[in-house]
Amino acid sequence: MGQQIVHRLLISIPALVGVLFLCFCLLQVVPADPAMIIAGPDAKAETIAAIRQELGLDRSIPVQFFEYILRVLRGDLGRSIISNRMVSEELAMTIGPTIELMLGAMLIAVPIGLALGTLAAVNRGSLTDRIIMACSVAGVSMPVFFIGLILIQFVGFKWALLPFTGRTGPVWDGGLPSLILPALTLGAVLIGPIARLTRTAVLEVLGADFVRTARAKGLRERVVIIHHALRNAMIPVVTLIGLQAAFLLGGAVVTETMFSWPGVGRLAVGAIVSSDFPTAQGAIMILAIAFLTINLLVDVLYVYLDPRVQRR
Amino acid sequence: MSAETLDTGFARESETGVFARAGVLRRLARDRAAALAGLVLSGIVLAALFAPWVAPYDPYFTDLTKVMRPPDAEHWFGTDNTGRDILSRVIFGTRNTLILGLVGVIVGGLIGGIMGIFATYYRRLDGWIMRLVDIMLAFPAILIGLAVAAIFGAGLSAVAIALVVATVPAVAREARGAAMGVMGQDFMEAGRAVGVSDGALIWRYLTLNCISTIFVFLTLRFGQIILTGSALGFLGMGAQPPTAELGMMAAQGRDFLFMAPHIATIPSCVIFVIVLAANLLGDAFRDVFDPRLQT
Repeated sequence: MGQQIVHRLLISIPALVGVLFLCFCLLQVVPADPAMIIAGPDAKAETIAAIRQELGLDRSIPVQFFEYILRVLRGDLGRSIISNRMVSEELAMTIGPTIELMLGAMLIAVPIGLALGTLAAVNRGSLTDRIIMACSVAGVSMPVFFIGLILIQFVGFKWALLPFTGRTGPVWDGGLPSLILPALTLGAVLIGPIARLTRTAVLEVLGADFVRTARAKGLRERVVIIHHALRNAMIPVVTLIGLQAAFLLGGAVVTETMFSWPGVGRLAVGAIVSSDFPTAQGAIMILAIAFLTINLLVDVLYVYLDPRVQRR
Repeated sequence: MSAETLDTGFARESETGVFARAGVLRRLARDRAAALAGLVLSGIVLAALFAPWVAPYDPYFTDLTKVMRPPDAEHWFGTDNTGRDILSRVIFGTRNTLILGLVGVIVGGLIGGIMGIFATYYRRLDGWIMRLVDIMLAFPAILIGLAVAAIFGAGLSAVAIALVVATVPAVAREARGAAMGVMGQDFMEAGRAVGVSDGALIWRYLTLNCISTIFVFLTLRFGQIILTGSALGFLGMGAQPPTAELGMMAAQGRDFLFMAPHIATIPSCVIFVIVLAANLLGDAFRDVFDPRLQT
């Protein structure tokens, strides 16, 4: 298993370098000169030249890229033009809430999706099955912000049940109520695809020999479904969750903006709107690396769930 | 033997016209959900296409005496915070949203399809193209949108570029998968043996045999592309005011959510209906053209 993970890590290196290169290019192709932006509109030519030298903008592109990688490895992502704080500091402050939001969404979506998908598969062709599948198609077709708008309007505003702007603190420190609506918004998008694939996977497994054997042994139906069918059906479902990571990340950017959730996505959007290039670059890089990491974790989980993968 | 084999590969050319297969439309019509979805989507597309004639008011005309009116007989979808008719704005906004989706699907599908097919035909390119695809896949669509907007500034073209870039790698993978299957067929070998040129082999034999798979894949992706485009619009990376675009209209309405919920809710509902209809139709196309893809 260890070998498998190392192999997978090595494969992600070219993708990581690609991500870094694209983020590096981001500042290269921006129409405005970063040195001029940092120096401000009234800066003298010498000041701009000094900043250019400080940032290494006067050197060749490959050298700049190499230096950029070294700087990233040191954790130096430059300074925000707007807040004048280190970008790494800004990211350190915002990454926690983003992870919290994504985990919260998964905690809501995965159990509900698995339960609904299994329920639909076990009652194949029934009214329950059809209702669940119809809801899942509707769920996949709904813009994240639509779900958010409805939750804000009713649960947050009209019924005043939960807070709907900002984050009051970490989950373990009284922040749970402020997490519920954003996590529910983001999680709702994932329930549909998870339910749909779980249904297909469970249906496939229910016809397998080992399920028949389990039934023939006289095991209770619940044990057969949960221990034999669902465990095996988890393999494609985990892959799907990996594929949905892009969705989750994109959804997180929208959800954070809607609920004023102080995460990386909102930081990125704010930075782009205010032309704060170093922050935008850092935030986009962190989000892309987060995406690579999620896919890596999914692959590792895959090996754990399906020991056959190891032998391939 | 080779002449016969060649024929089987070649004969398919006539089948690849999207609706050429016997009874495709009839089979689609039998699926009631798909038929309804097709009807709704056609209605929306027609309204968007003829927007200047269909829209009851000028979408940019502000009337400060009729601000934030709820839906009534005069303004079916109500008015927004500057008194503009929301129905007219929705019709024009749908136009922009649909154009973005189509650009994403068509241009992205074309580039991705060519990449996938070339990767399969020219084995030397395979490693390079697929590595590029892997790197592109490391950027979720919304991130690409944010990056493009950061570089070129927010606007409809930024979103269009992002949607194209986001579509390319997925289509390239799908096209490569389909092309791999075709490459293994006897008629490819036979075509090469009798000296058919590379261009003819790639176009007539390989591409035309992969088109239905790519087409189904693109119809299934269309809904997602619309969702991504409108999410970027919602984030302010797309159309800039006063241009109407559904995602951006929802974002503008968010500021007045508690006073006039219809301003944000109606454009969101329209996006939902478009995507739902596209997804249902995509599913139906898949069942008709390529039942193997069924999940």
